[in-house]
Amino acid sequence: METLNLLADGFAVALTPTNLMLALLGCFLGTLIGSLPGLGPVNGVAILIPVAFSLELDPTSALILLSCIYYGCMYGGRISSILLNIPGDEPAIMTTLDGYPMAKAGKASEALAISAVASFIGATFATIGLTLFAPMLASVAIHFGPSDYFALYVMAFATIGGITGANPFKTLIAAFLGLMIASVGLDPGTGVARFTFDSFHLYDGFDPIVAIVGLFAISEVLMYLEKMDQLPDKMVPLGRAIPKMKDILSGGWAYMRGSVIGFVSGVLPGAGASLGAFLSYIGEQRWSDKDGSFGKGNPKGVAAPEAGNNSASGGALIPMLTLGVPGSGTTAVMLALLISLNIQPGPLLFERQPDIVWGLIAALYIANVVLLLLNIPLISLFTRMLSMPQWILMPFVVMVSFMGIYSISHSTFDLLVMVGFGVLGYILRKIGVSLVPIILGLLLGADMENNLRRSLSISDGNFAILFQSPIALTLYAITAIMLCLSFYLAFRKRRGAESAP
Amino acid sequence: MTDRIVGLVLLAAAIWYGLTAGTYEASFGDPLGPAAFPVMLSVPVAVLSLFLLLRPDANPDWPRGAALLRQLAAICILVSYALLLERLGFLLITFVAVALLGRLLGSQWHKSAVSGAVVSLVLFLTFDRVLGLPLPALPEFMS
Amino acid sequence: MTVISRTLGAAVVFASLGAFQAQAAECIAPADPGGGWDFTCRTVGKLLHDLDLVDEPVQVTNMPGGVGATAYANVMSKRADDDSLLVATSTVGVTQIAQDKYPAGTDVMRWIAMLGTDVGVLVVPADSEMEDLDDLVEALKEDPGSVPTAGSSGAGGWDHIRLLMLADAAGISAEDYKQIRWVQFDGGSPAVTQMLGGQVDLVSTDLGEIAGFVESGDIRILAALSDDPIPAFPDAPTAIEQGYEVTGYNWRGFYTGGEVSDEVYESWVERLSDLYESDEWKEAARSSGLVPVWRGGEEFEAYVNEQAEQMNQISREIGVIE
Repeated sequence: METLNLLADGFAVALTPTNLMLALLGCFLGTLIGSLPGLGPVNGVAILIPVAFSLELDPTSALILLSCIYYGCMYGGRISSILLNIPGDEPAIMTTLDGYPMAKAGKASEALAISAVASFIGATFATIGLTLFAPMLASVAIHFGPSDYFALYVMAFATIGGITGANPFKTLIAAFLGLMIASVGLDPGTGVARFTFDSFHLYDGFDPIVAIVGLFAISEVLMYLEKMDQLPDKMVPLGRAIPKMKDILSGGWAYMRGSVIGFVSGVLPGAGASLGAFLSYIGEQRWSDKDGSFGKGNPKGVAAPEAGNNSASGGALIPMLTLGVPGSGTTAVMLALLISLNIQPGPLLFERQPDIVWGLIAALYIANVVLLLLNIPLISLFTRMLSMPQWILMPFVVMVSFMGIYSISHSTFDLLVMVGFGVLGYILRKIGVSLVPIILGLLLGADMENNLRRSLSISDGNFAILFQSPIALTLYAITAIMLCLSFYLAFRKRRGAESAP
Repeated sequence: MTDRIVGLVLLAAAIWYGLTAGTYEASFGDPLGPAAFPVMLSVPVAVLSLFLLLRPDANPDWPRGAALLRQLAAICILVSYALLLERLGFLLITFVAVALLGRLLGSQWHKSAVSGAVVSLVLFLTFDRVLGLPLPALPEFMS
Repeated sequence: MTVISRTLGAAVVFASLGAFQAQAAECIAPADPGGGWDFTCRTVGKLLHDLDLVDEPVQVTNMPGGVGATAYANVMSKRADDDSLLVATSTVGVTQIAQDKYPAGTDVMRWIAMLGTDVGVLVVPADSEMEDLDDLVEALKEDPGSVPTAGSSGAGGWDHIRLLMLADAAGISAEDYKQIRWVQFDGGSPAVTQMLGGQVDLVSTDLGEIAGFVESGDIRILAALSDDPIPAFPDAPTAIEQGYEVTGYNWRGFYTGGEVSDEVYESWVERLSDLYESDEWKEAARSSGLVPVWRGGEEFEAYVNEQAEQMNQISREIGVIE
């Protein structure tokens, strides 16, 4: 009851006309930034901080504006995933798997609607979790140690083979390639430079955004240049402009399953939104892929990861607010923002500055509703983008990606790396290697290694520590069950195929 | 055939990667050190590359003739863009690159020139002026 | 065309917000947006303009890479005589220089000033059996591997070195203190939460980021590595009070290119000095957990050189570098 009173106070703060306007502006800008490849939510929030300052907003209003940008980015990331097969940000990579095939089949508006609803459900689920259980969840999350995180990553990589319909060995190769790429740079544990060829440019390793844009966007240009003689001018049938309710409902319970899985991995600061989206997709695939249509445009393959990544983004606010521990790049920027607004996140935040916390939470509810209302009408606008001629769209997307990266790093070296990734991505696509596992490997590889090494630092080199915690053992058990299940399903499918004709 | 070549390249890469990683050491630090994890990675990669070598999929169709030339031209444009960006300044090089890419993607010269001008101006205003992320606007000798 | 018109729309929105920027002083943050150096640049950049010490808003450029090495190399080779340039740095950067991880030593830059400092602390969970530094030292002397310790830097980084300096001051031999288990996390708060989760027993890091946990009573300060008690926690004992002559600050400051004229250099020192004197800076520093401390001009250059020298020596002694 007390919680509800506090939340009501929060709404009173957030619902002033100025704050509502800011929420609207934040949602719009966030969606825009999120949908531009190369300019993900981390940089989006970071570069808009000075704007918030220059408006001389009070802390609550600034926080509302930037949280709406944060949520907006998370909504926006899916748009270019679906329409262009280029993830707008890291967590949106899973959405390319089924979203882009849907768009190619003329169901772009359906995919956008499903993902908008999924984003809404996921983010709202997380916000409710944040409202009701934040301090309690934080005290549970701290019991997740390095060996438990390592078990979580093992689970992710053990189940990765099945994410695409293609050759599972090639998927594994892609995942390992990503892990190898992730090891380039200064080793955080000891400061040793690995695979850098003595170049300072490589000391921080490969930025996942650079790799994403290169692998997806530039390889897409090369693909198009190869096929342009054989294709009719319009690649994609436009389909319906406004999706039917029935299509939106086809996401079904996938919305909820994705939300739950995403939320759990958001609350764990070492897991984050990309892993949340990935596990939601894997979970949904194991749960409901009866006919092998995942990866070919199954609506549930859009609904689950989108609900998952938005739920994880909301969940990630819990350790950030209650412990001061950011679970992702974006929450790290939000943390820096809070501190510069003279708000100290941590165990005392909810007691000391309840008006700010509850104002923020209320703003998140509002942002969600605004984003849903904003995104549904925008669908027809976005799908119309597909009817733009490729010679306008592609150079524009490439230049936006180039500048999104150059304007942050001021390194033309990064641009060359991007082109290199583009060529690599093109070759891999030609031989049927999925690009998504490479990005997953790149995103999770460093954390996987660090947590393994942290575990062994704690135990002074004794490997037994990896199997001592009940949490880790549970995760390994789930991994084993999932592996057995997929072998069993593959076996049954083969036998079914043999006996059918 | 393609799979075999890729498999071979990958095998060589995995061996090089594992051997290079093996040389990393820190006089100081955690029990596992900087070498162990990459060395651990190189083994499954080598095994998987053998799989590509021994059980390759059917060959994909590689582009020939005009298509291949177009791809090479696009790569050249993008690489030159990266190399010349700071020397020629953002506005000029973006105009040229977008115009050339547009032409390559099948539009007419005058149309792609317009698109080049619009894209370079819009992006400059968005990034440099609006978002406050400075870009080198003009050629080096003019600024 | 939709995309373009939307972008234009956004441009108009922004333009009307008055966020225009012109050529002006530039502050390079040698890290991604959101980190400590980025924060230093943005806060100081904003104050410089608010206090009318510069005419135009200060542009903040992020140049991440190699814990500041990329920016160092860039300024050294391309911007050595740039009059309008500030680069944020801290003790962490000097540690890197001292361990030969930058392309050159401290002598290629002109060091302008430091404006404040964070204080290193050793903290334990509130219910820890260790009551003071003597308990810790005793445990380490008995078995150096008995206290798994975490911090925000890797082995050989500043958080780790501060701990080893203390062990050294306590008379523990280099052979022994190398055995102390060190666990690296990506920041002070993750290290502390892992300690609260029972993974490690001790954390060595900067106070600023984790002050909330001290206030809430979840953790206790075993020792503050400062000359005087910390203003925010006057009751927390310093290492010196407990008989161990060790301090471990993490200051925040700026350098500029090595070929700028004396005139320009002096004017930067003066402007930052004015900024330091302002109430606005004191407030900004306090809110981010820094203690305002001023060292500027030649005094600061001497200080940086001495610190680099000292750090180099320690790193050699403990074997981080050969």
